[in-house]
Amino acid sequence: MEENMKKTISYLLILVMLVTLFTGCGAQKDPAEPAATPGSSEPTGDKILHLRKTSSLQSTDWEATTNTTDMQVVWVQVFEGLYTIDEAKGGYQNCLAEKIDVSEDGKIYTVTLVDAKFQNGDQMKASDVVFSYNRAMQNSRFNYVTSMIDKIEAKDDKTVVFTLKYPYSAISHTFWSIKISSEREVTEAGDSFGTTPHTAGTGPYYISEYDVASGLKLKAFEDYWRGPANIKDVEYRIISEDAAAVIAFENGELDYMSDAPLAEWDSLKVSSGENNSLTKGNNIRFLGINYLSPTNNNILGNKAVREAIFYAINRDNVNIAATEGLGDPAYEYMPHEYVATSPSYLDGNFELYEYNLEKAKQILKDAGFTDADIAAGIDVGTLTTYGAGTGEKAKQAQVIQANLAEIGIKCEVYVAEAAQITPRLYSQDYDLCIFGDSGNYDFNNIRQQVHSESTGMYVVKYADPNSPLDYKKIESLVDQGVATDDVAKRLEIYTELWAMVMDSATILPLVHLPVGIVWSDELDPGGLCPTYYHIYNFKWVE
Amino acid sequence: MYRYVFKRLLFLIPTILGVTLIIYAVMSITPGDPGRSMLGTSAPQADVDAYNEALGYNLPFFQKYLNYLIKMIFHQDFGISYFTKLPVFQEIWPRFLVTIKLAFFGIILSTLVGVPFGIYAAVKQYSAFDTITSLVAFFMAAFPAFVLGLMFLYIFALKLNLLPSYGIATFAHYIMPAMAISIPPAAQNMRFTKSSMLEAIRQDYVRTARAKGAPERTVIWKHTLRNALLPVVTQIGLNLGMLIAGAVVVERIFSIPGIGSLIVDRISYKDEPVIIAGTILISITFTIVMLIVDILYAYIDPRIRAKYAKLKG
Repeated sequence: MEENMKKTISYLLILVMLVTLFTGCGAQKDPAEPAATPGSSEPTGDKILHLRKTSSLQSTDWEATTNTTDMQVVWVQVFEGLYTIDEAKGGYQNCLAEKIDVSEDGKIYTVTLVDAKFQNGDQMKASDVVFSYNRAMQNSRFNYVTSMIDKIEAKDDKTVVFTLKYPYSAISHTFWSIKISSEREVTEAGDSFGTTPHTAGTGPYYISEYDVASGLKLKAFEDYWRGPANIKDVEYRIISEDAAAVIAFENGELDYMSDAPLAEWDSLKVSSGENNSLTKGNNIRFLGINYLSPTNNNILGNKAVREAIFYAINRDNVNIAATEGLGDPAYEYMPHEYVATSPSYLDGNFELYEYNLEKAKQILKDAGFTDADIAAGIDVGTLTTYGAGTGEKAKQAQVIQANLAEIGIKCEVYVAEAAQITPRLYSQDYDLCIFGDSGNYDFNNIRQQVHSESTGMYVVKYADPNSPLDYKKIESLVDQGVATDDVAKRLEIYTELWAMVMDSATILPLVHLPVGIVWSDELDPGGLCPTYYHIYNFKWVE
Repeated sequence: MYRYVFKRLLFLIPTILGVTLIIYAVMSITPGDPGRSMLGTSAPQADVDAYNEALGYNLPFFQKYLNYLIKMIFHQDFGISYFTKLPVFQEIWPRFLVTIKLAFFGIILSTLVGVPFGIYAAVKQYSAFDTITSLVAFFMAAFPAFVLGLMFLYIFALKLNLLPSYGIATFAHYIMPAMAISIPPAAQNMRFTKSSMLEAIRQDYVRTARAKGAPERTVIWKHTLRNALLPVVTQIGLNLGMLIAGAVVVERIFSIPGIGSLIVDRISYKDEPVIIAGTILISITFTIVMLIVDILYAYIDPRIRAKYAKLKG
């Protein structure tokens, strides 16, 4: 009896082990097939372009993608907007909009569409544009780019009329941000849209395979309205670790890498030969000071303390810590080279807070702090930031902590995951913080940092009785800035606005993060774009 | 014996409940909310509040926990990922299988290498082989998996170009990660087997077997090894559990889409459903592995069998 029992248990255990092992050893399940085979011919047998993705694709729906690495795929390769963005040339350009006429009062935009097809073969119509915008307007995430739209109407299949609530010259960013999708396919898919491959975009590639775990594959859309792409097959592979990505590139397993790890830049430069580029990115890190913080009897409410902090910060050291010295010290909200309406620090119209230890110390003394106070250390609370404990923001925080110690100001550094920290920053639950802002090519983006309507987006709350600046005037300047499309006038308005912000000593630009790109000898990436690269422009070297 | 197995199975219930409660409680006290995670920073607070309300996020803790348990147990519903909006089970199960596969490769390698070396080192105690293998095991046990992983990547992928550096497409993809994950436990197995063997070798029954003139092979394989294996089996089981739970480092280095790397990735987005379900799955697996070890232990150790046979009698 006992022998039988032993045998039974043995067989059972062996069975359990084998089943588990073989279930695991089974071939990876192919993700769903694409809904249709777009275009007139199926591109097969071509060399595959291998790219890196640092994390899983969140969704194949452009509306549901929230991080830059997802947007690089879905917003640029798969979907298109009325405008596209070309950082290499510094701005927005027509894409699905062939022509845009603006009424004299600046409130009516009449858009003539190009002759484009969706990847599912349907002709793109004005009704698809109306559908896409209405869908986006129901999504809170896009309030910041759609709130000025009153209504959108399809005049005919080729013409869309946008009526704005008020003149809004920064509409270009809206035309870039909102992508056009096939009304039929999105409606048919319902809530499941975005969870599987689809053919609802007009872009040069469609997603042929989507595995949230291991990556995704794209295929060229042969009926793309600008003509089919040179490279037919693209595969994104998820490689989260920088060291592993560098080895994969050097091993020939990746053909192109955007946002190449800066810590490995020297090695990548050697291995890529001539095929590398380091560009000043539109991705800036800022120091924010919460003047409302109750810490140490609201010491940060004292403008002199805030100014002293700003003068004590050595941006060159911050740059070395954050980017290995490959970035640029930042003095502007946006790079003036890329954004025509962005005030330039070269014009001397606003305070830069250049590193000056003696001045910082003097400001503290003039504000009544004694040598004893300084020797004991003036406690300003905690410098909070997010990301990895060894990430660039954490390194910047440590440099700033050391900088402040030199003038007798002490602070703790606290670094945690973004999901934990960002809600605190947006609700002003911090003393000092390091945060990022980027990706926009119109200075009107400042609205999210200074306007009271941008609750949940700004780090420093200016609309307060104790505000260090005339916030009503700031908000008026924001509104005036978008009410005109005269670039010179806008620049003048934004210069006044930015000077007020800098004078309040609450937000300090620290460093422009550079964008490193490397590519293989076999690839010609065309005109380089720091962030939103276009695979459509790539081709294999003969 | 069935009674023993049944009793151990019953123990699973409070263990799993305890694990789920702890994980759920920890996730509940961390800052942030799903509405903000899903709708983004630019969404108005009113929309975020409405979203959280619809999700039941504002319910009292125990009500939320109970709802979660009911859905999990009776409907196998782990919720929807805040990040991808896919059903959580659909996200975690394929990755879990990848991790299981990697852990099994690791445990097989570490056992095949560690146990025989440990036996031989014990049998040949104080020999050159013993000294060298003990020293190597000492160093290898101290090597973190990520150091080994990067070293293997550098040597086998970059310099020798023998193996692919990332992914799981073919068997070749598993070689480096399995090696990286198995070397530290192999070293532990070797040291553990050796010390266990040495202890068994010195027992009276071994001396008796030798005195009776039994051949050395019989003494080692039949009398010594069987007794020495008892703690080694426990160690291997523990290692398997640790490999499943701790494969995340190797998964990240080799870009393997396993469950550990999934959980780490989603922590950044506070994707609670995935984090909770993934952690629960790992915990349950660990518990089941320990159960299997306990059963094996009873199978190998006649004293446990005898104890339950007596109870039955």
